[in-house]
Amino acid sequence: MDKLSEKYLRPKKIPSTACSGCGLGQVHKRVLLAMDELGLNVHDVVWGTGIGCAGRQTFNTWKGDNFAGTHGRVYALAAGLRMALPREKKIVLTVGDGDAFGIGLKHLLHCARRNLDMTVIVADNFGYQSTGGQFGLTTPPGSVTDSSPYGLGETGWLGPELDILEILKAAGATFLARHLSLDGKASVENVKRALLNPGFSLVHFIYPCLTHFGAVSLSERDKGKVITWFKGLFEPGAENPDLERLNRRVDPGFLKLKRGLYVDASGSRADYSQSLKDWTKNLNRDGPDPVGTGQGAKK
Amino acid sequence: MNSFRREILISGFGGQGVVLAGRSLGLAAVHGGLEATMLISHGTETRGGYVRSQLVISDGEIDSPVVERADVFLALSQAAYERFRGMALNGLTLYDSDLVEPTEGLTHQLALPARRIAIESLGTEQAANMVALGHIAKLLDFLPFDCLRQAVTELSKRGREVNLAALELGRSLELE
Amino acid sequence: MRKVFDTGNAAITEAAILAGLNFYSGYPITPATEIAENMSRRLPMAGGYYLQAEDETAAFHMAVGAAMGGMRAMTSTSGPGYVLYADPYGWAIGSEIPVVILNAQRVGPVSGITGAPGQGEFYLSRYPTHGGNFETIVLAPEGVRDAFELTIEAFRLAERFRTPVTVLADQLVTDGWEAFEVPEDAFELERLGLPLPKRKAHQGPDFYPRSDGIDIPPVVLGRGTGGACSDWTPTEEGYDTEEIEAQMKHSYRLIYKIRNNRQLIDRSVLTRMEDDPPVVLVSYGSPSRVVRKAVKEGRAKGLRVGAISLKSLWPFQDALFKKDKIHLVVELNHDGQLVREVQRASGGRVHFLGRCGELPTVSELLEIARSLFGGGRPRPIKNVREAW
Repeated sequence: MDKLSEKYLRPKKIPSTACSGCGLGQVHKRVLLAMDELGLNVHDVVWGTGIGCAGRQTFNTWKGDNFAGTHGRVYALAAGLRMALPREKKIVLTVGDGDAFGIGLKHLLHCARRNLDMTVIVADNFGYQSTGGQFGLTTPPGSVTDSSPYGLGETGWLGPELDILEILKAAGATFLARHLSLDGKASVENVKRALLNPGFSLVHFIYPCLTHFGAVSLSERDKGKVITWFKGLFEPGAENPDLERLNRRVDPGFLKLKRGLYVDASGSRADYSQSLKDWTKNLNRDGPDPVGTGQGAKK
Repeated sequence: MNSFRREILISGFGGQGVVLAGRSLGLAAVHGGLEATMLISHGTETRGGYVRSQLVISDGEIDSPVVERADVFLALSQAAYERFRGMALNGLTLYDSDLVEPTEGLTHQLALPARRIAIESLGTEQAANMVALGHIAKLLDFLPFDCLRQAVTELSKRGREVNLAALELGRSLELE
Repeated sequence: MRKVFDTGNAAITEAAILAGLNFYSGYPITPATEIAENMSRRLPMAGGYYLQAEDETAAFHMAVGAAMGGMRAMTSTSGPGYVLYADPYGWAIGSEIPVVILNAQRVGPVSGITGAPGQGEFYLSRYPTHGGNFETIVLAPEGVRDAFELTIEAFRLAERFRTPVTVLADQLVTDGWEAFEVPEDAFELERLGLPLPKRKAHQGPDFYPRSDGIDIPPVVLGRGTGGACSDWTPTEEGYDTEEIEAQMKHSYRLIYKIRNNRQLIDRSVLTRMEDDPPVVLVSYGSPSRVVRKAVKEGRAKGLRVGAISLKSLWPFQDALFKKDKIHLVVELNHDGQLVREVQRASGGRVHFLGRCGELPTVSELLEIARSLFGGGRPRPIKNVREAW
């Protein structure tokens, strides 16, 4: 067990039960690294998880207080929890692409709208992999999966024309970034910024799933080649003979994702949970009844 | 133990102040140390359909809040009169003579020109409910009039003076 | 005590605030909207937070999230919202989070009639979520005064039993007006057991005890206890497990902490049962008021009838129902829900009177009750049938 794990993680949960070659552990590590570099302690963070690979693999790994929410609703749980926690406690949520961008999108958008102070780490493996590999909201168009055997026909939330981060930006998120799990320092820096933003932050980490997406959609079991393909998502111009073969089913227009910082409007807008707390604290309790029911506000 | 239980039914259309009249009576009963319940129901839409207020007042615990045999029925619309008249056959039906064409030949009913009085004496139709209420209070001998005045004072955010004047007009009314 | 004349909605709001409510989240729905409105006006005055959610699923999740963080939290709704609670309801049961839900039942199915009373969620309140392996606590007020008292009681029970508690009201209870008393000073508050004890946080490391014990503090996050809440089957420490035996222990705790303490939850009221009458009317919620009047009037006319009015529905109080009685169950639905449970518990003859959208009248209750004497069957008047 390395120093980082020793500091933050529960020994009972190491090693994780993730598939061999899964990129999720790297995402998890980036978050811990960012915390460590910020000097955060176990008691500074309440950690929540969603359902799916990302949720199950990170649940109760955190030494401190933590929870696993219902599928897609961990954002609403966190919204309530935010009201109960003091400002200095951070909420970190590690969730999957289906949890955040599928079943939970509505609640996610409302958290962004209220700019509630939380850091959502979306660990995206391009589909519903824990249930055996069905296409999801970020699966590249054209992909063959267990539920798109003829190739995925519909457009998801990820691509040059329709990007989920644009939607989150429009919904009011004050910090957004996108990385590949393989990204090193740059991604850690963005997770740090996300953690420091006193509002709604989301870092979208794409990570390779070898077991389902790699094996089925890319028809490739070689870890190195799958990883090369994933790198190519952000660098479509990279010359690599494997890319062309691996891309034969995938819409080439997909391969122009923007990497790195997306939006940094940290501190530009109030966190509603904090505004509500402040407003309640300063409310004039001797004032007149606001709606004239005849009963008096104080009653 | 209850020594008395009185059932009062007020019904009209939305906007006539049926609920406020009921609330005023209920609150007046509370001020008078009595128990009270009230059920409000709306027939179809709020405005245009009927609004019904079922009040029960007692000096002891009230079991059923349902008015089954009204001691007093105030009808503020033709529809209300026709729909609920049968529930007050042994009680007294008061109907607003501007708004209700009564069934001929029935006993236990009196015309109450509440709307007319409100318009002519107070210049506003809105006070008709309070004119009627003032008269009902006179019939409910267990309810001190001061309690009703107090209740209306508390519940009238606007037009308090007009409402209190309307109560007095209703109270002083002699019907035959 | 200060006597006021107000609605059930107002009584529920005041009671929750007196019980120490810190957080309310809701979504507008007839006939529970006024609770949300009252909360938005009154709760900030008491230093609590009102959050209007994007839907009922979110509303209840938020309340559970706030409760998980140590707050006293509540939400309110009617049938169409109550079904949307299924997801967080199960989560809160499994994670043992105390939270209060108010359901003002209206006429169904689906939107039905919004501003009229129904009783369609008797069984839904027993099975408000999927998966089984749990027992629920459900209280049922008959009127405004009850709504006041039982709302406070719901917070007390939620904390003691570490579970969500539903106050299952109906539209006549929430929209109905009644005189009720509100405590004004410390002495009066104390008499009502208020303020409730401060919420405690379980210190661990075994957050999920191997016992049916109550009065064990629930998990609270944010206090540095290392507590974990989840939808997974937990080990004692809160780790997720797929061990059958651990699952069994978890289920037994969820079921028997409630079943084995059912006497603490029983709030039934017996009327004229002292001489063991052969015919017993059974009801909950606003119909109980009419039933009680009918029983008193019946007695005055020499009819030996009694009434069991249930103010706590779940866990069901089987012992109240005897096989040698003839039970007439009065409900605000046409399909008959409570009647099934009464038949199961009594094993005797059970009849059913169903109304929906309005209360039955005293006279019709008496007419049916009279026909049941001497082994008779109710005459086939409208909406009356023998239950199986």
